[in-house]
Amino acid sequence: MTRRTLGLALLGGVLAVVAFLSITLGSRDIGLSEVLRALGGTGDTGSTNSTVTLELRVPRTLLGILVGAALGVAGAVLQGVTRNPLADAGIMGINSGAAVFVVFAVTVLGVRGAGVYVWFAFAGAIGALVLVYAVASLGREGATPIKLALAGAAVTAGLGSLTTGIVMTNVDALNELRFWQVGSLAGRYYPVLTGVAPFLILGLIASLGLGRVLNGLALGEDVARGLGQRVGLTRAAAFAVVAVLAGAATAACGPIVFVGLVVPHVARFLCGPDYRWILPYSMLLAPIALLLADVLGRILVAPDELQVGVVLGVIGAPVFVGIVRYGRMAEA
Amino acid sequence: MRAWRTFLTVAILSVALTACGAEDTPTSSASAAPAGPWSFTDGSGKEVKADQTPTRIIAHAGEAAALISFGIKPVGIYSDEPVKTDPNLKNLDLTGIEILGEEWGKIDVEKAASLRPDLIVADWWPAEKANSGLEEGVDEKSKKIAELAPIVGISQGKSIVELAEGYEALAKSLGAKVDDPAIAANKKRFEESVAKFKAAVAAKPNLTALAMSPSDDKVYVANPEYAPELLDFQKFGLQVINPDTPDPGFPYWENLSWENADKYQPDLILWDSRNYTDKANAEWGAKQPTWFKIKAAQAGATVSWPAFWMHTYGDFATELDKLTTAVTAANENIGS
Amino acid sequence: MSTTDTLRATRRRRGLRSVTVTTALAAVAAGLFVFTMMAGSMRLTATEVVMSVLHLRTDPSVDFVVLGLRLPTALTGLTVGLALGASGTIFQQLLRNPLASPDFVGITSGAGLAAITGIVLLHLGGLWISGLALAGALVAATIMYLLAWRDGVSGYRFILIGIGVAVFLDGLIGYMLTRAQLFEARQAMHWLTGSVGQADTHELQLLSYALLVLLPLAVLLQRQLRALELGDDTARALGTRTEASRAALLAVAVILVALAVAVAGPIVFVALIAGPVANRLLGPAAGGIAAAALTGAALLLTADLVAVHLMPTPLPTGVVTGAVGAPYLLWLLATTNRRGAGG
Repeated sequence: MTRRTLGLALLGGVLAVVAFLSITLGSRDIGLSEVLRALGGTGDTGSTNSTVTLELRVPRTLLGILVGAALGVAGAVLQGVTRNPLADAGIMGINSGAAVFVVFAVTVLGVRGAGVYVWFAFAGAIGALVLVYAVASLGREGATPIKLALAGAAVTAGLGSLTTGIVMTNVDALNELRFWQVGSLAGRYYPVLTGVAPFLILGLIASLGLGRVLNGLALGEDVARGLGQRVGLTRAAAFAVVAVLAGAATAACGPIVFVGLVVPHVARFLCGPDYRWILPYSMLLAPIALLLADVLGRILVAPDELQVGVVLGVIGAPVFVGIVRYGRMAEA
Repeated sequence: MRAWRTFLTVAILSVALTACGAEDTPTSSASAAPAGPWSFTDGSGKEVKADQTPTRIIAHAGEAAALISFGIKPVGIYSDEPVKTDPNLKNLDLTGIEILGEEWGKIDVEKAASLRPDLIVADWWPAEKANSGLEEGVDEKSKKIAELAPIVGISQGKSIVELAEGYEALAKSLGAKVDDPAIAANKKRFEESVAKFKAAVAAKPNLTALAMSPSDDKVYVANPEYAPELLDFQKFGLQVINPDTPDPGFPYWENLSWENADKYQPDLILWDSRNYTDKANAEWGAKQPTWFKIKAAQAGATVSWPAFWMHTYGDFATELDKLTTAVTAANENIGS
Repeated sequence: MSTTDTLRATRRRRGLRSVTVTTALAAVAAGLFVFTMMAGSMRLTATEVVMSVLHLRTDPSVDFVVLGLRLPTALTGLTVGLALGASGTIFQQLLRNPLASPDFVGITSGAGLAAITGIVLLHLGGLWISGLALAGALVAATIMYLLAWRDGVSGYRFILIGIGVAVFLDGLIGYMLTRAQLFEARQAMHWLTGSVGQADTHELQLLSYALLVLLPLAVLLQRQLRALELGDDTARALGTRTEASRAALLAVAVILVALAVAVAGPIVFVALIAGPVANRLLGPAAGGIAAAALTGAALLLTADLVAVHLMPTPLPTGVVTGAVGAPYLLWLLATTNRRGAGG
């Protein structure tokens, strides 16, 4: 067993512990034995404690694991394929695309509630990514990192204006958007989970095949071409994976940043620059971070809760600065 | 159309300026208003004086509804949302009234100026020390409406009854015949509704109520201290539960995570009117596994709570009657 | 004919073109400035507006509308436009990149984040917001400097990192908004949409005075800037203290954009577009800060006229600049690429 395999197994163990914490700790005080009985099916099935455990915390934890893994992997793939250490699904316009579609669903179609507009957010996120990729691909040398980043910024700004224009004239849309804009795992149960899970699982499996080609791209396009890689095709495949992963994650939970940005750097720090390792490391590290932040948000202000996005914002900023300060960011 | 309207306002303005407003055709029905001098002490404690009784009034949404209910028709209205959806305005005939704004913070002061108002009526908010529409954060331009005419407003936040009485007093000072049977009918109906409500509440001494607003992320429980109509309900004898730990930064509500939705067990749920529908209870029960852990919700004991908007005796009476029905139908022991 | 004569002639031609274009732009901006004060529910003639502004005639109703309501808005459009235009072109020239405008490299977001924090967490208003916006912009600029400066700023690397910083800061702004209570949230949302209609008198005064000092200063620094454009080595040979003038110019640009954001909120794309548009007009005399500033003012005043009068319902100015600016940026991407500067 190599050191890196050992690390991976260790992370798997940590994730299991964190998932267990996520089911036993929350804004409601439920005794450990009662949680265990509910999980074992021997609890009082009608009781609120059992409902909270089985119908609130279990789907929330599963969603946290899947969404976290998806965001971490999407960030790692994007950073690899664009060779931009600060790449994140947010930079590719994904949140603005999802926001426009959510607002459209609320104003034009009268849709309400997180469970329903998941699909609009998904469509919007993927639409924005495709648009960004298409625009960046114009011209001879194809979708270079700089063009991707700029197209992402342009699309974000343009769609942002559109969203503001609609929201300013519609109070309902503003309210829904304000809710949606906070990345959160709360209030999403089995319908949302079962809706996005197939996309997330497929995307995660597919992403594991990208390690080798990302390693090639990391050496530079010419080298990659020299190694016999078809750079354009690789990029398109990587983007398809990112679109599915980040799109479904954003649709389910709203925009959650930092995880996709920071986790790949931590992974790189732990296992070195080999993407065949960075991807699985990110896949385990990201849900650990997301679930820990979520548990913190639940117990800090009980009986209220902090949205996981807010917690990540507060603890993510110093981590971000730290990474930049110690220079790993620059070498990516 | 737009050009014509602009042309007309300019034309009216120039005519009016030369005529010094002497032979105005009064647009308000308070044409028999006493000539003045006029004075009124408003919710902020300041006394506003004028040589003549104001007749050309611009009012904020709910305040306009109050004045209209006493037979005084404002020349202009500004509201915080489209007049078609504003609960105060949506059922009123607004023909002949200029709409000066349908979004918070945005008042068309140019149009307001062309109406030559001599009084502006907008609630006074003691906490923010500002009148409705002039709070911190609105467009700088909108605040200029205060330069057009004196502003009066009844103090908000403690009681809808006081608000209605305050606007009754204001309307009376402006010449409204508040004792005219047609106008006083609303007040009489309100007094009857209060009596019925008190009787219904007295018949159920153990009944408790909780004002709630469920949302996708959490459940909000209203703090009656900051909701004038809930304070009125408490004065009428209804036990509206005061949440024990309101959000320190925003004490209007206590926020409960969905895990803690059943923290309070009232016998009757007063449901925020802004997201209440007849089907809302069933929908939230299906969507949120813990909503029906509130026994009153499970039993369907919910009623719309007219949250933060009422200004008139008539509206209050209508809403009270709905509550009376719900209180009568409620089981006072379901929550315990 | 010696070469010096030819050179002198070219320089004269350039100077002439520069003066002509700048004057024309000033006339356009002034025209739009007056026109902004003519349009509205009450239509006024140019004469009425000018008479009222210059206090040549007193007419209470006209004075109320012009001096009380429209002049602050028009003045905001003018000054914010000037500041954004000047700031944008300085950034673009210093970084030798048409894409390096302050709204894309995180400076605007830094100012916005600081201002929102002031509104939401510290319950501040007025001049405090200006001060915070300035501090935020400076901090963001410093972060950018530390992150990207060491291997020079000419590369695309600077912009890549800048966009990353901008997205990071925008994320923080989003979280700040969710921490806002309803009352401040409304204020913050209004502020964030970027509109010339919301300016506070004190902030506006501050920006106006800053412009009076900083614009001439920037134009004076133009020489050093020109020298810089020849490349660092040449500039050093000419005896210009490269780093010092760079820092001075950049400071001017950062202060201008920060104050503009403080007054009108983050209005996107004006800083990006003004420079290139002015350069197209200037032709061989490209690079004039005054021309870029005036272009910025003309663009912003036009955008506000469209936003307020041509839309079915009045919208914040930033909505219009964003809707027009995004396609422009995409087009810029395509053409930059064709010239082989991409990647």
